[in-house]
Amino acid sequence: MGNLVKVTDLDKYFGHLQVLKKINLIVNPREVVCIIGRSGSGKSTLLRCINFLEEPSSGTIEVDQLAVPAGGKGKNHRQLVHEVRLKTGMVFQEFNLFPHLSVLENVMEGPLTVKNMDKSQAALIAEMNLDRVGLLFKKDEYPNRLSGGQKQRVAIARALAMEPKLMLFDEPTSALDPELIGEVLNVMKKLAQDGMTMLVVTHEMGFARDVADRVIVMAEGEIIEEDNPEIIFKSPKDERTKALIDRYRSGGQ
Amino acid sequence: MNLFNKDSGEAKSQAELLYEAQMRKESRFRLNVGLTWLLLLVILIFIFSGQALPFGLHTIKLDTTFMSDNLRFIAGGINTTIGISLLSIILATALALFAALGRLSTFPPLYAVSTFYVSLIRGTPLFLQIFFFFLALPQLGIVLPGLWAGVIALGLNYGAYMSEIFRAGLSSVSKGQREAALALGMTPGKTMRRIVLPQALRFAIPPTGNEFIAMTKDSALVSATGFVHELMWRATEVGRAHFRNLETLIIAAIFYWILTLFLSYFQGLIEKRMSRGDR
Repeated sequence: MGNLVKVTDLDKYFGHLQVLKKINLIVNPREVVCIIGRSGSGKSTLLRCINFLEEPSSGTIEVDQLAVPAGGKGKNHRQLVHEVRLKTGMVFQEFNLFPHLSVLENVMEGPLTVKNMDKSQAALIAEMNLDRVGLLFKKDEYPNRLSGGQKQRVAIARALAMEPKLMLFDEPTSALDPELIGEVLNVMKKLAQDGMTMLVVTHEMGFARDVADRVIVMAEGEIIEEDNPEIIFKSPKDERTKALIDRYRSGGQ
Repeated sequence: MNLFNKDSGEAKSQAELLYEAQMRKESRFRLNVGLTWLLLLVILIFIFSGQALPFGLHTIKLDTTFMSDNLRFIAGGINTTIGISLLSIILATALALFAALGRLSTFPPLYAVSTFYVSLIRGTPLFLQIFFFFLALPQLGIVLPGLWAGVIALGLNYGAYMSEIFRAGLSSVSKGQREAALALGMTPGKTMRRIVLPQALRFAIPPTGNEFIAMTKDSALVSATGFVHELMWRATEVGRAHFRNLETLIIAAIFYWILTLFLSYFQGLIEKRMSRGDR
């Protein structure tokens, strides 16, 4: 039995700027891994490379035994990328709910159009997942009628409806008012307890400390430290990690 | 009255009072505008009513028997006017969509075709374009009935102008929407059809309604071919024959005006419905 995610020698350039430098990363099944680091450290780009929203410049992305080399072209590559995306769900900082669809339709959209399910079956799956995030009672609302926290929970349900093996979270609480962060983190915690494999880019140090099995610290496009949260938060080795943790401590909590 | 007593049922909060004052001001404004419209309308009718004035003068006198005799003939063109406009707007919408997609394409030939089309059409008069399809094409052995020459010219012309509307509509859909769809595993084609286009169209439909209203009026130009018996053609036809152009053009003008008022009303309804589920 192997890893669920295996990133090998990943490089990413934006023009001449190298934002990811020889990244190697493994995520095991049922593991919750948090990636922390300052803005511009490359953590979001790394996450977006895993489901090819950013095309990596070189290296290999392997998700659930399916290896996709970077820089591929043509039909074959597109098919591989498609299969990787089927295995991964993604939650964005800005929610990105479809504003022209109701909450239920948002969650149905994947099963309906990607898996070609019939409507009643897709609706059933959508309702199940909305219930899972505690928002079944909002199923007929449109996204503009929801609070930020509710929007993000619907976005999580939408990703879950595709029954992914891996969930990617790209700063899921960064666009939220402080009082709404808790409800989203609670849903994520429950997901972790249910055994979902999760890769979470976050500034929520509390969540990383309490929920993560492993914490990865990034700076300047590199992984500078990687350990269980106990060690990262109590006795970080790298100076930059120390600075990051100190800043979070002095910021309250 | 105590403004700050929330317990007594009658007292209203400051905010409520302000709101009510605002509402009163607005409805008074609307009433005044309506009355002034009415006054202007009465003046307009008076000018054309042939009323006697002092010193042996009178306002413009219209041949009302002639008008009522020919009313039905001119009204018979309304269907054609609406028909031309409907066909043209369908053609224009399709062209505008393709032109907008081309304009947003990173593939140089597509971008070029789109901008070339828009530049050529916007750089020449609509009137010329109508005559081109009706009078110039026969020289090449392509004879189009007046109606189709008109529809193609109007469609091409409005398509070029409307491409800007659709381009704005497509760009109004954020990159995150596309990414969310792709992350779900949707193909780029499906992402476009199911996520981007519906949102872009919702943005584009109200201004397209405006274009449609403008088009019902520009369809009058097609009368110049002499073979499309819409409002304008019918008005000038009987007007010239009896030298009663004043009467017939006034009738046509009234029909166009009522038509656009109707269409504006429906467009307002659509606009309201379209805002459903807005961000």
